[in-house]
Order: sequence, then structure tokens, then C-alpha cells
Amino acid sequence: MIKLKTILLATTLLAVGAVTHAQDKAVYGVLMKTLSNPFWGAMEQGVAAGAEAAGVEYYLQAAESDQAAEPQLNLCNTMLERKPAVMITAAINSNILLPCLKAANDAGIPVVDLDGNLDPAINEQAGVKIAFQIGSDNEAAGAQGADFVVSRLGADAKGAVLVIEGLSGNITGQKRARGFAEQLAKTAPGLEIVASLPGDWDRGKAANITNDILTKHPDLLAIFAANDGMALGAVETVFAADKGAQVVIVGVDGNSDAVKSIKEGRLTASVAQLPYLVGKQAVENIKLVTEGKEVPAVVYVPTLVLTKDVIDAGTEPMLEFVK
Amino acid sequence: MQTNSQLARISAWRRTQDFFDSRLHVRLESLIVLAVLFIAMALASPYFLSVSNILNILLATSTIGILAVGTTLILTSGGLDLSIGSVLGLSGVAGAYLCVTLDLPWIMAIVGALGAGAAVGYANGLMITRLRIPAFIVTLGMLGIARGLALIIAPNGGAIYGLPAPVVFLGQGRPLGIPMPVIILALTAVAAHYILAYSKVGRHTFAIGDNESAARATGIPVQRLRQILYTLSGLSAGLAGLVFMARVNAGDPTAGYTYELTAITAAIIGGTSLFGGKGSILGAIIGAMIMGVLQNGLNLLAVQSYYQQIAIGAVLILAVYIDQLQTSKEKKA
Amino acid sequence: MSLLTIKGVTKGFGAVQVLNGVDLAIGAGSVVGLVGDNGAGKSTLMKTVTGIYGVDAGEISLNEVRINDAAPGARREMGIEMIYQDLALAKQQDVAANIFLGREPVKRAFGFLPGYVDRARMDREALKMIDRLGARIPSIHRPVGMFSGGQQQTIAIARALTFNPKLVIMDEPTAALAVREVESVLKLIRQMRDEGIAVILISHRLNDVFEVTDRIVVLRQGRIDADLVTKDTQMHEVVSYIVGAH
Repeated sequence: MIKLKTILLATTLLAVGAVTHAQDKAVYGVLMKTLSNPFWGAMEQGVAAGAEAAGVEYYLQAAESDQAAEPQLNLCNTMLERKPAVMITAAINSNILLPCLKAANDAGIPVVDLDGNLDPAINEQAGVKIAFQIGSDNEAAGAQGADFVVSRLGADAKGAVLVIEGLSGNITGQKRARGFAEQLAKTAPGLEIVASLPGDWDRGKAANITNDILTKHPDLLAIFAANDGMALGAVETVFAADKGAQVVIVGVDGNSDAVKSIKEGRLTASVAQLPYLVGKQAVENIKLVTEGKEVPAVVYVPTLVLTKDVIDAGTEPMLEFVK
Repeated sequence: MQTNSQLARISAWRRTQDFFDSRLHVRLESLIVLAVLFIAMALASPYFLSVSNILNILLATSTIGILAVGTTLILTSGGLDLSIGSVLGLSGVAGAYLCVTLDLPWIMAIVGALGAGAAVGYANGLMITRLRIPAFIVTLGMLGIARGLALIIAPNGGAIYGLPAPVVFLGQGRPLGIPMPVIILALTAVAAHYILAYSKVGRHTFAIGDNESAARATGIPVQRLRQILYTLSGLSAGLAGLVFMARVNAGDPTAGYTYELTAITAAIIGGTSLFGGKGSILGAIIGAMIMGVLQNGLNLLAVQSYYQQIAIGAVLILAVYIDQLQTSKEKKA
Repeated sequence: MSLLTIKGVTKGFGAVQVLNGVDLAIGAGSVVGLVGDNGAGKSTLMKTVTGIYGVDAGEISLNEVRINDAAPGARREMGIEMIYQDLALAKQQDVAANIFLGREPVKRAFGFLPGYVDRARMDREALKMIDRLGARIPSIHRPVGMFSGGQQQTIAIARALTFNPKLVIMDEPTAALAVREVESVLKLIRQMRDEGIAVILISHRLNDVFEVTDRIVVLRQGRIDADLVTKDTQMHEVVSYIVGAH
């Protein structure tokens, strides 16, 4: 008898506790592109840290590859079923998630464009409202890459440069390539971009592109790749062709694979995004929005050019955020 | 040979199977698996059993479902069409190009998408029946060609955005609360099921998949039928491309990537044989729904996509194995 | 007037010449044995009659009408049927489906909806034909691949007989059968003759040929080497023609 009453009491308390506990913490829905790139892994760590600091819970999911567009849309719809307080999404391309985000708008759920994958013009046409867009300034990152190349080769350098773009039609890749090209043209007009080809964020494809261009331009001076994965593919090809010393190779992201390669003296530099910061600040900022505070429409998280010197010196304060 | 008393002993299970098989043309096992999965997911997640979630599942299944219809027709006839994923992308781009870039009336989106699909299907059929190139090779080549064409038509390989409202309705409208893609899938499936299971053309499709030389010997116009089937396969890919384009309001040249394999998986889980002579449209829809319920349920449970891929692969192998077990048991009887 | 006339038929595949000018006439209600060694061209010749192969030269006529250009389906409608050596059955389809293969009866609901196959009628008539042939088949709804060789052959024969043929060609019908089943096939051939159906029997088993045929035609290296009346000849004579020792 006593045991039964105790059990009932305990269960009721627990249930009440669970309900109130559930009501205490808001649950954020986080949808990434894919988890198979350490960049997104670092971002998830940032989200976790941000959520802890903000006192919210979250569930995080991703599609099986960064080309699985329709599955990501289906995932988004399913995540919406759980009625999150907020949807933080990193869309695979600028239009696939819009039907889902519109539904989020209609349900009064604020949406964060994680890492700036949406196109504001298309958003407006579709009538989709975003609370804010957060990410690295991809054009500035591209420009930083150009600055680094020029710092290594000199402003009067003349020669061939290869640009390896991201996935066709992806706005992040487009911005980085554009930022690089424009800055390069401005600061070192003698350096000519002989090819600007899409590597689809794929290491293997980038390696093949590098191979082909190296064959055509054996005295290639520099390669700019829109992400580290592709840059590392290019690195392998360049070193296999024994031209490691000749070609300056710059990637973007600053993920752990890139850092390793830079330390080993293979990849020359990477314009490190700070995905950890991006994730953390995304959560912090949307919490402000849910509290009714103002947040700028575009939140830029700075980028950092990582080179062997910078890494070895270890004094750069932002290094803390490179995971 | 069996005597009458042995006949009477043909179990109730077998008789139920036969009923579903010969009357409804659906494999009983597939229905059971779907029901079991459904119940399991409903028990596992409180979000599963809501009207909006069920509609979500149907909506998520619609593209693959339409593709699986065409795939079933082709597989049953002993053929293979690997190009349908790329044709889906090409069709969406073609439709969007006509009515957005060229600013033609909205009906051209539909004409363009369906026309592109049917045209590619027809070309496949020509090469397979006239030039006698194996279907695997032809459709594998077309997979690349169609994808490349889609990327060329779309500017810089990006999507063509912003379709006219009537077209968007086909993908996002909800007459009576049911998403349009689901309605389109249902109509397509019913029509195709009727053709395959009940019409003379359907019988002949089974025949040429089962024993092509026997079909020819009995007077069935094998090559003409093959040509028609490949055109229909392309048309179904065009319809899927149209629905997808309307759903995301953009002609996306990268759409449909690897969908041909998913469509084949759905068809086979539903009881269609990879080698021809056996197939069911309703079965393919059930197969697609099995995958859809699995993915949706696992999504709701926040299981990562990689485990879902493992689950679906396992279901495919299991489905075929169970089917094989049964066939060999019957052979020994 | 003969039912089937083959005149000067030649047929080659690439560099290989299989038929080198065949002349043959078959009368209605007669049973003709077509014998010859492997590679003599028997199956090929019969496939030119059913329309699966076209001829390079020569003429094939049915009741004096030239049928060279008719497709296999059309020739079946004219009354030419063949039971192939491999039976040409769709193994995953059931008995009725196989019997009506290529000639499924169609019903139109309400006159305008696309027609659907009349399964009920197919099942009825298939059962009738199977019973008439005196065969025991456990269920007409199982896929025919599940049945024994003898049962499968009964189904192939049923298919050939269902549409009132004028000429039935049988390619090695008894080769894989048990003794009792062979007897029933021979009995069937006699029945067909009595009903006025012409039968061409291709067989290696000369005993069977001598039992049921009126004529024996020997094909060697793509040409008819001998055209003998069965009751006027003997086994050793036929064999000598087959091997070319005559």
C-alpha cells in the first residue's frame, strides 16, 4: 500500500517536473546541410555552447550529403512538426527550403539563415521572412584570400591563377569566388585567372580540375578554392606533380583538416571561417529576437587568414575559435 | 501432381496471398510491412500520428512515387531506365526556362516539362529498339546527357526561380487540404495500375519481361511496345520533374540526382522483379511509402540520415530475400 | 490443293547458309514427320513458316495465298501454330495467361472506357481446354514455371489448339517426356488428324515418327533429301537418308 502511494506520488512529481521543465526550456530546431564536413561539426559545437549559455535546448539534424536537396526539404517539414521555438537552417541551395520556411513563417516561428545560404531577392519574391542572416562575409573572405596571394607573390606578379568554385548555383561559393576575383584584379592586375571552374565542394573533382589546369599551365602560380575540402584536393595534385613549392594554394573554412595540412607545410593558407562562432552567435542572436530585441538583418562573423606562421605563433586571439 | 485433398490443404495464408495477388495485384507482404512500420513509428513518436505529418509523408513520397510508377512499367517489361533522375532535373529546367526566362504562358511550363521527359524517353526507346544498344548503356549515357543539358539550360547551373501562380499551385496547392503532388501521384498510380494489371497492353508488358522470344512468337509487337514503355518512363520522369519544380517554385538543374536508384528500390521493395515478368504499381507506391514512413519516423526521432540510409538498404535486401525464400519453397512443393 | 506450300526457300545467318532451297507441300489433315540430323535446319525451316524468321528467297503460301510478309501474330490468326522446343511459355504467368498469350480477350465496360482483359473468360476456356486434353493441373492460377515438364507441355499444346488451328507444328514434343506422357501426345496427334488439322512433327525419336505420321521428310544440309510415305519405308532407309549414306 505504502509503496504504491509513494510510487504514484513520485511519478506525479516527476511528470509535473517534466512538464514544467519542458515549459522552462525552449527547443530550437537546427537543420544543417550535412555533418560530413568538420566545418559543420565545429558549427554544431558552437550551437551547443550557445544553447547552453542561452538556456535553451535544441535538436539538430542534417541531410546525408550537401547535394541531397529534396531530402533536406522533407527533413525541414518533419522538424517543423515538432513545433520548435525557432528554426535555424543552413539551406543546401537558395530555393529548396522556401516552402518549409514559409510554413514556419505562417506558424509564427522565427527563421535564421545559417551561413547565408539564402538569396534575399528570392526570399522577397517568395514572401519568406528571415529574422536575420548570419555567417562569414564570404565576399570579404574571398578578398582576404586574394590579399594573401598578392602578399606572397607581390603586386607586380604576372602569371596564371586557378579558381575552384563551389557547387554550381550555390551563393556562398559564388560570393567567395567573386570576392577573390575582384580583389585580385584590383591589387595585382598582372595575375590572370585562367580558369574558374565548379568543384562542387568535392575533393576529388577539385583534384581533377587542378590536374587538367596544371597540364595546360605548368607554371601556375596560385590556386584559390572556395572551401578547404577542394583546396586539399588541389594540394594533393600539386604535390604529386612536384610543384608544391611553386604554387600558392589558399582554401576557405579553416577546418581541422586544413589546419593539419598547413602545419605540415602543404596547404599554404586558409581563410578560416569561425564556424564555432557562427553557431554560437546564431543561437545568441535568435534568443534576443525571441525576447523582442532588435538584431541586424545581416550579422557578420569575422574571418581569419590561417598560415603556418599564425598557427605556430599561436598568439592570435581568434585562434581560440578555430576548432 | 496434387490430388484434391492436397489442394484443400493450400493454407489460408496462401489463399489470402493469392487473393491480394490476383485480384488487387499487390503483394501481401509489402502491405503488412507498411502496416507494421506505421504502427511502430506511431508508438515511437508522439508527433507521427497527426494529419499534417501523414500528409507530410505523402508529400515527401510524391516525387519518388511518380518515378516509381514509370520504373515499374520498365522493370516489368524486362528493361531498365537509369536516366529518370536526370530527366526529372531536365524537365523542371525546361518548363521553368519556357515560362520564366522566355516568358511564355504558364501552360508552357507543363508542356515543356512533360514534353522534355517524353522526348528523352522516346529517344531512349529508339536507341534501344532500333539500334539494339542495351538499355543499361543507353539510359546510363542519357543520365549524363540529360543532366548536362539541364546544367547548360539553367544559367550558371543555378535554379530558374519564380514560376507563375497556376504552376506553383500544382506543387504547393492543397485542394480540400490534400497537397496537389499527392493528388497527382494518386491519379498517376491508379491509371498506371489499371493499364498494367488489367489491360491487354499490361499483359503484354508482363509477357515481354517474362520471355521475350515467346512474346514475339505469339505475335506480341515487342519493339513497338518497348518504344511506348520507354516513352512513358520518360513522361513519368517529366511529370515528377514538373511536380518537383512546382513544389520548390524553381527549375533546379541539380534536382533528381540519384533518384533513379531510389525509384528502383521502391519498385523492388513493392514486389517488382529486377529481371522482368513480375510487377505491381500499387506495390511500388507501397514500397515508396515504406521508405517514406521509415525516413519520416526516424527524422521525428532525430535519428541521423546515415542510419536511415542503412535502414533502407537493409529493407531492400530483406524484401527480396523473403520473396526468394517463398519462391524456392514453392518450387520444392 | 495443299494447305501449306514451301517453294525454293533459302535462309542464311551471316556467313552460314542454313536453308538451301527447300520445296515442301503439306496437305490438310496429314501428319508429316520432319527428320534430320542436328543442324540440318528443321527448326529454322519451321520458324520461317511461323514468321519468326523471314526468308532470303522463295515463297511460303497457305491455301495458295502468299504469306511471306505476314508477321507471327497474323500467321497465328491464319491458323498456323507451333509448339516450340523450349515451349515458349511465360514462366511467371499462369495457365490462362499463357494459353491466351498475345490474344487476350478484352471486355469494354460501358463501351467507352479502355478495355480490360476478360480474365473470367480466359480462365473458363483454359480450364475447358486443359480438361479436353485430359491433363491434371493443380491450379490454373499458379505460375506455369512451377509445373512439371509434362504439364508445361500440355499448356503449350493447349495454347496451340485453342484457336482452331489449321496447321500445328510440333518441335521435339516427346523428347523430355515419360512413357505414358509420350503416348498421350501421340494419341493427341492422331486426334488432330481426325479433326482435319495438319501436323508437322519434328522429332529425333524415329519410333514415334513411324507410329503417327503418314509421310516422312528428311532434311539434310538445308535441302529435302527424301520425301517418303511412312508405310512404304523402313527405319534403316530413313536413317541412311539422314546421314547421307543413301
